[in-house]
Amino acid sequence: MKHVFTFDPDRCCACSSCMIACTDQNDIDLKAGEKCFRKTYDTEVAFKEGGIYCAYLSTACMHCEDAPCIAACPVGCISKDSDTGFTIYDNTNCIGCKSCAMACPFGAPRYNGADGKMVKCDGCYIRVKHGMKPACVRACSFGALDCIMEEEYRNSGSDKACNVLIDQANLRKKEALRRWR
Amino acid sequence: MNELEKKIKAKIPGEDTGIEIKRSLCAICSPGCHCGLDCYVKDGKLLKVEGTLEHPYNRGKLCTKGAATRNYIYREDRVRTPLKRVGPRGEGKFEPISWDEAYRIIAEKLGTVKEKYSPHSVAFFSGYCKWYRPILHRFCYTFGSVNFGTDDSTCFKSMDIANSLTIGAPGGPNIPNTNTFLGWNYGGYYSNHLSVGPVQALKERGGKVIIIDVRYSPAAKNFADIFLQIKPGTDGALALGMGKLIIDNGWADMDYIGKYTYGFDKYKELVQNYPLDKVCEITGLNPDDVFEATKLYATNGPACINFSASALTHRINGLQTHRAIICLGALTGNFDRPGGNVPSFASYIHKRGGFTTREMEFREEKRPFDQLRIGETRFPAWDEYCDEFQAMDLLRQIEEETPYPIKAIVGFGMNAKMFPETDKLVKAFDKLDFFVDADMFMTYTAKYADIVLPSCSSLERGEMKAYEGGYLAFTKPAIPPLYESKSDVDMLCELARVMDLDDDLIKAGYEVCCDWMIEGNGVTVADLKASDLPVKIQTAKPVVPGAYLEKGCRTPSGKIEFYSKAIAAYDPKYGLNPLPDYVDPLFDENDPETKEKYPFHMIAGIRIPNTIHSRVHEVPWLRSLRPDPLCEINQEDARNLGINDGDAVEVSSPYGTVRLKAMITAKLQPGVLAMAHGYTEANANVLVGRDHLDPYSGYPGFKSLRCSIRKY
Ligand code: SF4
Ligand code: SF4
Ligand code: SF4
Ligand code: SF4
Repeated sequence: MKHVFTFDPDRCCACSSCMIACTDQNDIDLKAGEKCFRKTYDTEVAFKEGGIYCAYLSTACMHCEDAPCIAACPVGCISKDSDTGFTIYDNTNCIGCKSCAMACPFGAPRYNGADGKMVKCDGCYIRVKHGMKPACVRACSFGALDCIMEEEYRNSGSDKACNVLIDQANLRKKEALRRWR
Repeated sequence: MNELEKKIKAKIPGEDTGIEIKRSLCAICSPGCHCGLDCYVKDGKLLKVEGTLEHPYNRGKLCTKGAATRNYIYREDRVRTPLKRVGPRGEGKFEPISWDEAYRIIAEKLGTVKEKYSPHSVAFFSGYCKWYRPILHRFCYTFGSVNFGTDDSTCFKSMDIANSLTIGAPGGPNIPNTNTFLGWNYGGYYSNHLSVGPVQALKERGGKVIIIDVRYSPAAKNFADIFLQIKPGTDGALALGMGKLIIDNGWADMDYIGKYTYGFDKYKELVQNYPLDKVCEITGLNPDDVFEATKLYATNGPACINFSASALTHRINGLQTHRAIICLGALTGNFDRPGGNVPSFASYIHKRGGFTTREMEFREEKRPFDQLRIGETRFPAWDEYCDEFQAMDLLRQIEEETPYPIKAIVGFGMNAKMFPETDKLVKAFDKLDFFVDADMFMTYTAKYADIVLPSCSSLERGEMKAYEGGYLAFTKPAIPPLYESKSDVDMLCELARVMDLDDDLIKAGYEVCCDWMIEGNGVTVADLKASDLPVKIQTAKPVVPGAYLEKGCRTPSGKIEFYSKAIAAYDPKYGLNPLPDYVDPLFDENDPETKEKYPFHMIAGIRIPNTIHSRVHEVPWLRSLRPDPLCEINQEDARNLGINDGDAVEVSSPYGTVRLKAMITAKLQPGVLAMAHGYTEANANVLVGRDHLDPYSGYPGFKSLRCSIRKY
């Protein structure tokens, strides 16, 4: 039951409910300087020809199919969960070398304040294995963020898988935004 | 980690992990919402929350604030015990006392004020989260005071009064059956998250959406087929201009107008003053856009309009603006039809469940009439349609002591930052003999109180709650009350016993009161408590569009009133207009000197995802999303003033100054500033003048005032 995270920028508003849910689920200690595994963006992209595109985005680990972070880790902390396909980790042996973060194109790995060990979004794979949605997905009121079975994703004909989304978001929207600006 | 440890870490509920899901509700925002909560609890501690999937109201959804519930209830500044002030007001120095001691002091002090002055010299005031209001309201009346007031003095009620004057009923948009949604001031995403789904569904089935807003909001971006970025506070002029277009182009539903409305001829005459070119000059809009939007609304029906509870009525022309907007529904026959705006009445504390309770009778039977309420005779429409005091006159009456002195305040969740010239109000508290405030947190306001009582959160108590679709619920505590905190209603019932109030119902306790209020609906509190989810009430009836008009509107003429007979009956000395004419939103600040010194149009009180009024600014998770109070400013204005993103800026009005950081944006038009309200360190309402008020409702013009901005 491989799963895919999907994201629809036309439904997002950068409300960050997903971030709060991730913080709640993972006991992220903001006071100690820890950072949420998910991050939202409320950005205005200005066009050369005038007008703006308001980008509302939410990103976390993309759970890349061919995840460069796995090979980058010298002590083998990172692996693929065979059920969900998510990029998970066991940081018992982590030496805090940050090689994974250097290899990750999205800056997904984070480091604990206390012991300097790597932590990251694990797709809430234990929840998913128990038939629950990832915490962030569960908190999105607007259907912007979802996590569905790979089969369902392929059948839907959607192009909104997180790991292919980055290049598309801005380009596809240009037309709509020009109208009122 | 073994499998069980992994499960515990992932907070999977089950016997093996010892994690249980308990049902409650989120009461962070307005009682118009209050989403069902799944509380993940272990050993009496809350581990996390999620929305309840099976809940008929929110169907599993929570907003940003509700998602932060754990961080909210375990906030470090929770009031832990009853407290007695030992330092000067506002300093925040208190010492813990027992509940008995607290009740004794309150009873004695209120008794003294009652004896020395009169019971009316004690003002009872409720802020959020409103759930205990029926008890507090009746308590106030039984005590003998006419002065029960709430944040209704600045929120929701002005719209409600405009509705009562014009159509005699509330009239929410029926989006599931509409073809065109006129999202007038519709934001949705950050303030009413459950309203977004129906608009998404409308778009998916090919419906049209018009958004009218001062900001290019997420709703404008994600939904608008036509977006009208209007100059702040000019919506009334737009509505009248649209009215003229509708009449001139033959889009008006003349049969409907003839049958169901009153005063059309006078209205028709009025809108002649609002030709398109003039309207566009006032509103800053493009004539083609206005024409297209009007045509779409008027011809692609059924069409419905977002009724804005705060954004529009937080202007000193607000009540009439909302009346002008309602008139569009009357012109096009879209009021009380499927897919239009449909009337439905509240069952219990703002919730429209389709059944009736005796919420009103519960307080009415104890109501005294032997004195004027605070502010009474100042705002005639408020006086007629609201049985609370108009709190916008509280500061004046404390200061001037006319027509009689106010010497004590009994506050529950009172928020002084809600009041214009907040700094003056808290100073005026010095004139009080006694001030008690109940709150979950040691708030800015609570620091001025003599006694502070620790309220518990919605997760720590049981409460009765109505929901749309014919539901009623009575929650059970998901965790025990933290520290020595108590449920607000228990405090009131216990205090009634200590004071020996002449009120057997309140003295009998909250649940007995609830049973009294819901009698006749075939359920009891015990039945409700037996269920973890809201219970369907057999007496609930779905709204049948059209039925209300057929029966006759609850207005003086029995019809929808373009021309308000009620307003026409008010003393001419008030200078009020029975027709919904437009006046400038800054009419009291337009002298050349003020204009020059304060050239910007400030919107004080925009919605951002991580705050609601003053309630969650100090919740660390939420604060982390936007750590500093920000003043939004258009990029061109910023460039001209040499302001960069994140610069420290000072915003001033004739009344006060706040310091915050600049946020540069293209979502606002030049000349407009916007900031969120409720911050203690940058309280938007010190910028608002105490008399910058709507003469009909007494509502402050929070969202249209003159300001200047500079780097400092
Ligand atoms: S919860 Fe949904 S809408 Fe809100 S920021 Fe996250 S993805 Fe976007
Ligand atoms: S950590 Fe980075 S590289 Fe590894 S799977 Fe996630 S996004 Fe891909
Ligand atoms: S999947 Fe889980 S860990 Fe990853 S961002 Fe969402 S909530 Fe956080
Ligand atoms: S604060 Fe949010 S989650 Fe809580 S009741 Fe209001 S809308 Fe629902």
